[in-house]
Parts: sequence; structure tokens; C-alpha cells
Amino acid sequence: MTYVRRLVLDLLKPHDPDVVTFAESAADCEGVSGVNVVLVETDKEVENVKLTVEGDSIPVDSIHEAVEDLGGTVHSIDEVACGEMLVEESETPQD
Amino acid sequence: MPSRLKRLQRALERDDVRSISRRYFISNGFDGALTSVGIAVGSYLSGVPDGVTVFKIGIGAAIGLGTSGLWSVWEIERAEKRAELRQIEQAMLTDLGETRIQRQKAGARQVNALMSGLGPIIGIVFPMIPFLFEGAPLSMRGATLTSIGVAVSVLFVFGTYLADISEQNWIVAGARMGLAGIVVAVLNILLPG
Repeated sequence: MTYVRRLVLDLLKPHDPDVVTFAESAADCEGVSGVNVVLVETDKEVENVKLTVEGDSIPVDSIHEAVEDLGGTVHSIDEVACGEMLVEESETPQD
Repeated sequence: MPSRLKRLQRALERDDVRSISRRYFISNGFDGALTSVGIAVGSYLSGVPDGVTVFKIGIGAAIGLGTSGLWSVWEIERAEKRAELRQIEQAMLTDLGETRIQRQKAGARQVNALMSGLGPIIGIVFPMIPFLFEGAPLSMRGATLTSIGVAVSVLFVFGTYLADISEQNWIVAGARMGLAGIVVAVLNILLPG
């Protein structure tokens, strides 16, 4: 069984519910030990946020459902880390 | 049922919902209290013989205004909340039906409508109560005057409540609202019919 340990999502959300509600909702999912939400861009009706979730076994589907229930949409999955240990992105010459 | 109650409770915790509900409640409560003054003075001047009849007329008015408050706000808020949701949906390019946003708006609409319907019921029923005591302790004239007094008191309480949320002088705000009850009573006496 492979566990997702880190998930980074690019989200589009309405102004209401606020980012605190989004963070709390994601943190309430079982297997999640921490959440970070950063405001990337704000518009008249919507805002773009980066949601980072870490845990021993992140329920990816539940995170998606929690986001959609709050009226958000997942633009893209920007980062995923799986396995026994957490692996950071490694630098390449192109970086 | 518990989930519906929880939704209403959650809606009541929101400042925007409380603010709109307050406006509907006070506005329709004001209508109700002034209507009760009109009923009380009009009934006395036109010679309605007993207090129970006046009370029944008042309850009829309370049902009418209460239903009007509830129904109209239900429809108004339904349209307003739908428009708000549609605006967000257009910006999000997605359907927000069955989401928490949609449920929150539905809960807000229910609270707004309930408070709108409750205002006139309180505004009419309390001032009509003295008419139930017509006969033994109160004469028809006494019941009418007491009824006007209760209506003015209800208006005064509405005024002090508004003063409390806007940090105004509660005596002045209460008196300004209460004065409307006295003006309606005087107009009823002075105007023909």
C-alpha cells in the first residue's frame, strides 16, 4: 500500500468561504496532519490559492470532495509525495 | 430535522445573515406595531363592543402581515441568493449546486424569512393582549389606551435595540420609534372615518 504524504493543489475558490474554512476543512480529513493555504492571486469574485496538505496517509479523494463541497475547483495537482519517506524536490541543472 | 436546525444555527452565526434578518424583523415589526395601533383606535372609535372581537381582528392582521413578511422575503431572498450564486458560478465556471455555499445561502434565506414573519406577529400580538382583559379590570377605553401603550413600548424596545447595535443614545432612539405609535393614534383620531 502506497501512502500519499504530501499533496499540493492549485485551487480556484470564491471569496466566501474564506481560506481559514478551506484549511480547516482539509485538516479535518482523516490521515492529514497539517495544512497550509497560501493566497496566490485575488480577483473581483474569486481567488487563487495554493493548498499544501501533509500527513501519513492523505485521502486524496476526500480532499478533492472537501474542496468541491466548499465551492472550490482544483486547477491542477502541483506536487505529490508518496512512499515510506518524504522526498523533497531535487535541484537539477535547469533550475 | 437536526441538520436543518444546525443549518439555521450556523446561518444565525453569520454577521451578514444577522444584519439582513435584523432589518426585516424591525421593519416588519414596526409595520405590525403601527397596524395594531390603527386597529385599536379604529375599533374603539367605530364602537366595537367587546375586547375579544378586537383581539380576533388583531390576530387576523398578525396572520396576514406575518405571512406577508415570511412569503415576500422568502421569494425576495430566493431571487437575490440565486443571483449571487449565479454570479459566483460564472466567475468560477462551475456549478455550485449541492455545495456548502448553496446550503449556506439556503439557510440564510430561511433565517431571513423567519425573522421577517416573526416581526409583525410580535408587533401586533403584544399590543392586542390588553383587549383580552376588557370587561373585568379594563374598560374598552382603558384597553385601547393600554394597547397603544404596549405598542409604543414595543416600538421603544425596537428603537433601543437599534441604538444598541449602532451605539446611539438608547433613550433618544427608543423615543423616536415610540413616537410613531403616538402619531398613528393621533392621526386615527383626527382623520375622518
